[in-house]
Amino acid sequence: MNPSNDMMIQTDDLGKAYGQVQALKGLDLRVHRHSIFGFLGPNGAGKTTTMKLLLGLIRPTNGGGTVFGQDIVRDSIAIRSHIGYLPQQPQFIPTMTARETLRLTARFFFTGPKEAIDARVEEMVDLVGLQDKADRPVKGFSGGERQRLGLAQAQINHPDLLILDEPSAALDPMGRLAVLRVMERLRERTTIFYSTHILDDVQRVSDTVAILNHGELVAQGPIEHLLAGSDKPVYTLTLWGNVEATQSRIANLPYVASIDVACSNGATSWQVSVTEEAAAEEGLLREVLADEAVTVTEFHRKKYELEEIFASFVEGDNNGR
Amino acid sequence: MVANSTFDRVKEPSWRRGFANLLAKENRTWWGTRRWWVQAGLWTVVVNGLMAFLLFAMPVMLQLNEDPADAASYDAVVQSVGALFQIGTVALALGAILLSQDQILGERQSGVIEWVLSKPVSRASYFLSKLAADAMAVVVLLVALQSAIAYGLISLANGGLFPLIPFLAAAGGLAVNTLFYLALTLMMSVLTDNRGTLLGVTLGMLFGGLLVGSLMGTYSLFTPWSMTAALPAIALQTTLPLPTWLPLCVTVALTLLCIAVALWRFRTMEF
Repeated sequence: MNPSNDMMIQTDDLGKAYGQVQALKGLDLRVHRHSIFGFLGPNGAGKTTTMKLLLGLIRPTNGGGTVFGQDIVRDSIAIRSHIGYLPQQPQFIPTMTARETLRLTARFFFTGPKEAIDARVEEMVDLVGLQDKADRPVKGFSGGERQRLGLAQAQINHPDLLILDEPSAALDPMGRLAVLRVMERLRERTTIFYSTHILDDVQRVSDTVAILNHGELVAQGPIEHLLAGSDKPVYTLTLWGNVEATQSRIANLPYVASIDVACSNGATSWQVSVTEEAAAEEGLLREVLADEAVTVTEFHRKKYELEEIFASFVEGDNNGR
Repeated sequence: MVANSTFDRVKEPSWRRGFANLLAKENRTWWGTRRWWVQAGLWTVVVNGLMAFLLFAMPVMLQLNEDPADAASYDAVVQSVGALFQIGTVALALGAILLSQDQILGERQSGVIEWVLSKPVSRASYFLSKLAADAMAVVVLLVALQSAIAYGLISLANGGLFPLIPFLAAAGGLAVNTLFYLALTLMMSVLTDNRGTLLGVTLGMLFGGLLVGSLMGTYSLFTPWSMTAALPAIALQTTLPLPTWLPLCVTVALTLLCIAVALWRFRTMEF
């Protein structure tokens, strides 16, 4: 691994087809060091396919990629030496105990010393709260316990990159919170690339997000940028008084694309979509306040919920922002 | 917290990365559980139960039948050596098939293989660790142990040691035959994810092959199916129409072919 390289994952036109079915189409992904990268998309969007391509479990049919600057096809074993992976539905050798599973996993990376390996195993058992189940065979584990063991084995080598496929899918709310805390704590020493359907979690811990739909990347960027909207920022205003004349004047401003109006309890709410962010920041509020018949009680740039962003991209309505 | 710098990192070359760890794991599933003595006991009953019957019970039964001709013509040692290497060839091959049919296929179907191969493990290491551990167990428990007990029983009935070298040569042949079916089964578990197909091909090869082999006459000596004739001939130092090493060589070659096909296919499989 080249420590000076800031890019942990880079794919260029990465694609995977199964016969006539194109599971992943020309993916250009950029994941930076120490980011918590949320990889979103509906079922069948190609998220797991992407992760398996990065791990060398499947081979690309077009394009390629690098992890730590190493080729995902040629250098797969070297890459996996620095990765921790949690599959979507982790399956372990059913007759082995959790502790044995962790010891086996550790020995894929380290040959010794035995005491250090045992200490690392204990550290992971504690981290995921499996102390009282650590010596039971995995075949008796619930889905949540298996998921926690999955998280522990993914971190056993203190990886430079953690790839987590739906890490909190099978967990109860407390387990989910614990996973999020672990992820936040790990940010210091590792990069996390994870997929999930739980958008609240993404909004809470991720700094970068990519949205995949039908095998295509439809959005990628820092979460703040996505939540702020991209090509057409929207400003929210709450107004009192007679706003009709003001509305027509504002609608004619060169940088205003459209105004959505809603009335409630005597107040008028505008969603002003603009084409020039700088001009709007400087002049929009001033233009509205120029009309003395109107009182402004609220003015801010609209922040979207990730759910809205996600829905708009996945439903194909991604032109409005 | 233990830092990564405290550890000694695995330093195997890429092509056999993970082999030592996987082999240790596979060996533990054989020798670290009760599996080994269950199999040892089971096959002792099957193989040497038959041997004891042929060596010690059969002569008594023939005498009780009061047919002096039958009793005089029955050579317990020859009969039992023949049976050991004829029936053993089929029975131990069947054992190898049944013991190994779930080794890779089970992990493919459950998803364990995806987890293992997401670690720094080469595909060759995964396959070869299964093969090596199973081969060791099958040779020790099914072939060496049973042959050793049988040799003791035969020598006891013989009233002196049975010729050791031909017996060992035949036992070696038995190991070769058993390993062929082990390699065939592991190869099939790479080529198909359908258990019916796997068992159909391997058992079909074993039992169908015996039938086909009997119809091929001398030509069957160019196939593994003639091991049922070749191995008793080696042990009893009798002759066959063609050299007895011929089916041995063919079987070794086919075993290597199975391993090569499995490694080639496994290298490009997707999980």
